[in-house]
Amino acid sequence: MKTVIKTTNLQKIYNNSVAPVKAVNNISLEFQEGEFTAIVGPSGSGKTTFLNLIGGLDKPTGGEIYIDGTEISTMKESELFDFRLRNIGFVFQSYNLIPVLTAKENVSFIMLLQKRSKAEMEQRATEMLEQVGLSDKLNSRPNQLSGGQQQRVAVARALASKPKFVLADEPTANLDTESAFNLLDIMEKLNKEENITLIFSTHDQRVIERAGRVITLVDGSVSKDEVIS
Amino acid sequence: MKTLLIISWRNIWRNPQRSFVMIVAIMAGLWGGLMAASLAQGLMNQRFRTGVEQEYSHLQIHHPEFIKQDNAKYVIDKREELSNHLDNDELVAAWSGRTIVSGMMGTATLTSGVTIKGIDPEMEAQTTFLDKNIIDGSYLEESARNPVLIGRSLAEKTKTRPGSRIVLTFQDLEGELASASFRVSGVFQTANSYFDETNVFVLKQDIGQYLGKEMVVNEIAIVLNDLDQVSEFARTYASKYPELEIRTWSQLSPQLAFYNELGSTMFMIILMIILMALAFGLMNTMLMSVIERIRELGMLMSIGMSKRRVFVMILLETTFLTLTGAFGGMLVGYTTVHIFQNKGINLGNVGGDSLTDFGFEPIIYPELAPSYGLILPILVIITAFATSIYPALKAIRLKPAEAVRQE
Ligand SMILES: Nc1ncnc2c1ncn2[C@@H]1O[C@H](COP(=O)(O)OP(=O)(O)O)[C@@H](O)[C@H]1O
Ligand SMILES: [Mg+2]
Repeated sequence: MKTVIKTTNLQKIYNNSVAPVKAVNNISLEFQEGEFTAIVGPSGSGKTTFLNLIGGLDKPTGGEIYIDGTEISTMKESELFDFRLRNIGFVFQSYNLIPVLTAKENVSFIMLLQKRSKAEMEQRATEMLEQVGLSDKLNSRPNQLSGGQQQRVAVARALASKPKFVLADEPTANLDTESAFNLLDIMEKLNKEENITLIFSTHDQRVIERAGRVITLVDGSVSKDEVIS
Repeated sequence: MKTLLIISWRNIWRNPQRSFVMIVAIMAGLWGGLMAASLAQGLMNQRFRTGVEQEYSHLQIHHPEFIKQDNAKYVIDKREELSNHLDNDELVAAWSGRTIVSGMMGTATLTSGVTIKGIDPEMEAQTTFLDKNIIDGSYLEESARNPVLIGRSLAEKTKTRPGSRIVLTFQDLEGELASASFRVSGVFQTANSYFDETNVFVLKQDIGQYLGKEMVVNEIAIVLNDLDQVSEFARTYASKYPELEIRTWSQLSPQLAFYNELGSTMFMIILMIILMALAFGLMNTMLMSVIERIRELGMLMSIGMSKRRVFVMILLETTFLTLTGAFGGMLVGYTTVHIFQNKGINLGNVGGDSLTDFGFEPIIYPELAPSYGLILPILVIITAFATSIYPALKAIRLKPAEAVRQE
């Protein structure tokens, strides 16, 4: 097995409040290729902060982050933009899509940023949207799609860029139960069939059991790390 | 880049109301600016044209001493040779030799200081179109006995009409005071009422007779076929007739040269003020649109859209918004100017006689130099670029991690 992400003594302390907040406190973890991991924990436990750190969106105040063996916490900001574009797929809780572009244009957009060929963009965008069950919504704008459909487009976009792994921060938080399960079904399928490395955070008990590995955070530290078979 | 263009264009229509208001504001601003500028330009051009056509012509030739002392005894030497030369010069459209004498015009009740100009009616008509400016009575005729043309404001002031007798008093070439009776044959009016009040025209031979010499030519006014050849023409004649003083319209009337510049300067000033006002409105609009999209911009930068691209996107949005308005404004502005270009806008109703007092015609024909059609969009684009810098900087200074967290 191949290690995709490795953190050692990862730490993020926010100093801007009255007392310093240890949002991420000494986390050392490894994520293997093809793993489907849920990061769980109550609100404020540091899930988002941790995902932002391994996603190269934020700088740690201590420790190291290795992506495929490359230390990213020392990278310059401009290098990180490009690194994210080529290596990491993102799905956020909301505001994932460009409202003025259709589903297909949204998926193509990331490949455009990667400077892929037009033909490849065209083909892959259609393919990815088929994978998430939206082949009939290629030309719909985000406001013509339900919340669940929008999140599926976001997943399609995240995968279209052929990332090393996909990070999803509370992707189901704004969804009803059915849509939430549906989204997890799709993520599970992509993980199994395409061997995509997926890490998602949630405090939603309903969807936790879909993951193959569940890491529980409490006050910025790992309190439990269990593999579910 | 193409996708970025599409996104930017569509983005400005996400809040159609706000964009529409901004576009209409830009349109109105530019329309107003173009109208004001074209009126100013029209006014200045008219002042310039009437000044050159009716008063100064393109060039004038004098005896150097005449300019200093304003005495009719300083006549133009080599008159015969010069007139031959002018008659055969292809650059020359028309010219007129004049006797110039300072004197007084008197009626039974009133006297007024005037410049008496002795002219050849035919040649003067071709040079300054004086015959076209007769509003009452008739132009000078060789057959009449001592006819005189006086300006409208002088006629009103002295209460004279065609047929009235007046007395002109002046010094003859010997320095003796001479007086002669003239009969008003016509009243003229130019755009410059001051000119009308201070100039009277008589036949050259009539005034010559009282001065004591048949042909007294103190001034030659010349009109060329092409205004642009004035300086070259002046140089040639200056070297050929070093004993004469030859001056171009801009040397004769620095004021006219100034008006000529003023038109375009005023256009620039008006435009700058309008663009500056628009820039603030525009900046406000763009800032609002950036602030509303913090999460979306954070998302874009998170997935790897470079800051450069985000910057360009905001820049394009501002430019599209501005250009749409500017295009509309220019279309409406140029159309309006085109409509009134030949019809004119009568400001006489508003300003009364104050315009003519300053030598302006009451009806203004708005004019826009075609070059403005190029300068304007360039200035507008520069404004759009300058305006978008701050909102665009605001956008790229967002920290992706924080921006996506925004509630
Ligand atoms: N920008 C920030 N400045 C100060 N404190 C922050 C900031 N962002 C997050 N925090 C704090 O860090 C802790 C972890 O937050 P977060 O990672 O958002 O947790 P979760 O995603 O699990 O809800 C919280 O106590 C939060 O208040
Ligand atoms: Mg969170």
